[in-house]
Amino acid sequence: MTSLKELQESFQAGILAGDDAILGEVNDSAREERTILFGVYRNAYVLRLAEILSTDYEQVHAYLGDAGFSKLAKDYIAANPSDQRNARWFGRHLPAFARKTAPFADHPEVAEIAALEKALSDAFDGPDAAPLALEALAAIPGEDWPRLVFEPHPTAIRLTFHTNATEQWTALKAETAPPPPARLPEPQALLVWRQDFMARFRPLDAEEAMMWNEAAKGVGFGVLCEMVATFGGEDEAELRAATYLRGWIDLGLLAGCRLEADRPPSLSPAPGTAHPSAP
Amino acid sequence: MTDHKPPYLGFGLGLRPQHYEEILGGNPAIDWFEVISENYMIPGGQPLRILDQIRERYPVVMHGVSMSIASTAPLDTEYLVALKTLADRVEPKWISDHLCWTGVHGVNLHDLLPIPYTEEALGHVVDRVKQVQDVLGRRLTLENVSSYVTFGQSEMSEWEFVSEVAKRADCWLLFDVNNVYVSSFNHGFSTDDFLHGVPRDRIVQFHVAGHSHEESHIIDTHDHPVCPEVWDFYREAVAHFGPISTMIERDDNIPPLAEVVAELDIARQIAREVRDGAQLTAAE
Repeated sequence: MTSLKELQESFQAGILAGDDAILGEVNDSAREERTILFGVYRNAYVLRLAEILSTDYEQVHAYLGDAGFSKLAKDYIAANPSDQRNARWFGRHLPAFARKTAPFADHPEVAEIAALEKALSDAFDGPDAAPLALEALAAIPGEDWPRLVFEPHPTAIRLTFHTNATEQWTALKAETAPPPPARLPEPQALLVWRQDFMARFRPLDAEEAMMWNEAAKGVGFGVLCEMVATFGGEDEAELRAATYLRGWIDLGLLAGCRLEADRPPSLSPAPGTAHPSAP
Repeated sequence: MTDHKPPYLGFGLGLRPQHYEEILGGNPAIDWFEVISENYMIPGGQPLRILDQIRERYPVVMHGVSMSIASTAPLDTEYLVALKTLADRVEPKWISDHLCWTGVHGVNLHDLLPIPYTEEALGHVVDRVKQVQDVLGRRLTLENVSSYVTFGQSEMSEWEFVSEVAKRADCWLLFDVNNVYVSSFNHGFSTDDFLHGVPRDRIVQFHVAGHSHEESHIIDTHDHPVCPEVWDFYREAVAHFGPISTMIERDDNIPPLAEVVAELDIARQIAREVRDGAQLTAAE
């Protein structure tokens, strides 16, 4: 007798690879042949996963239409058997898949619309954290500000787009015709995050994007101000940095702050010793 | 396991995001909710906040779709720990999943796949249910699934298999009225044989749902209203088992809340008629 393990392997191969060996193990019913009956499982597999993708990537579906999305979904399903218990994460590789797989790779806006939808979903049910309040920051003495480092909200995701995918997404979301795809003259930085239980996104100009990237790495506010001065000019550099920071706080983009010296001892160079990577 | 049989909860619904606002805004006459565990096994955000709010107002039970209790792949400890973490938050009246498998070799087919009813499969499932119950610290509730194929190697009926799992693993059963009906049609067995073949003292919940009839077979789609034949079988099940927590399961083509509440009222009415009929018989 075929063991339970072999039977399940054969059943799975019957669904994933169309292997017919399993048909030797299952019965016809009084009304129907086994090929049709086993076919219920084969069909359900693709249909269920395609439906999951359509729910997760609603605007990609709207953009490509039923036929185009069906091709993307079927190709993705064939290339990515689910390794997740939770269907919530089945489609997580779709943006990367669309970016590198023909014919979608020739239409980079598809991968970018998908990346935006994925980021919005990830932000929607990402980890909870209370946003940093302005009052907490106001309590910090002025002389400590240069050593202040910031903790991005755990739902914050930085994206960089090369097409007008955000405009297309916005139009599709409003159920209007999207503008034609276009390559942007300069890459567009975006932040996606959750505020008041809503997933949101906003574009960043190049200077703010640079400061965000560095702040997210744990660079202190004093150095951030110097970097802003180098990037966009010394004139009112501190004011510009403070304005970006204020915006992040107002939008709930930060979850905390601390002084650099608060780092656990193992992460800080011992007093009086130069850090190996210090200039 | 020494825990007592879970309480009778009355008439409940599956919690679906489409109905969140109406439920929290209106406190509709629903006795309890069943939540899909995986939908809330996420890091944070709105779904978990809403679940907390629902839990403050209603009893909740957790219903999983991916434990894969009958799979020959190793038990997924990470999944079980996450399930336990959610259970610690929700404090459900019970935790259920399906008597099925969902994949092997690290693949999840996101379907409820059938088991051959053999001694080998029985021993395997019983061992795994015991392990899961040890992790969860409570009895598991297992649901009979709809199936479309039977296996040549099966050595017993589905109800014999289900009953033996419940007895040997000391777990509860979720009697899915629709699934019994669907499988009885697909495989040509009598719903009565199933009904009378499972142990009455193990049943803690009923599922009632709609399906899609394909003439030669029925597919368990949960996207239609409950059909008259399933309501008839529900009546028989209530008469046989007595009051069992009943829940309408709608997973696709989800109608406005009022429509599912109206279906729940049909279940209430049937249960009332069965009870009144039984009292009448007793009085005679």
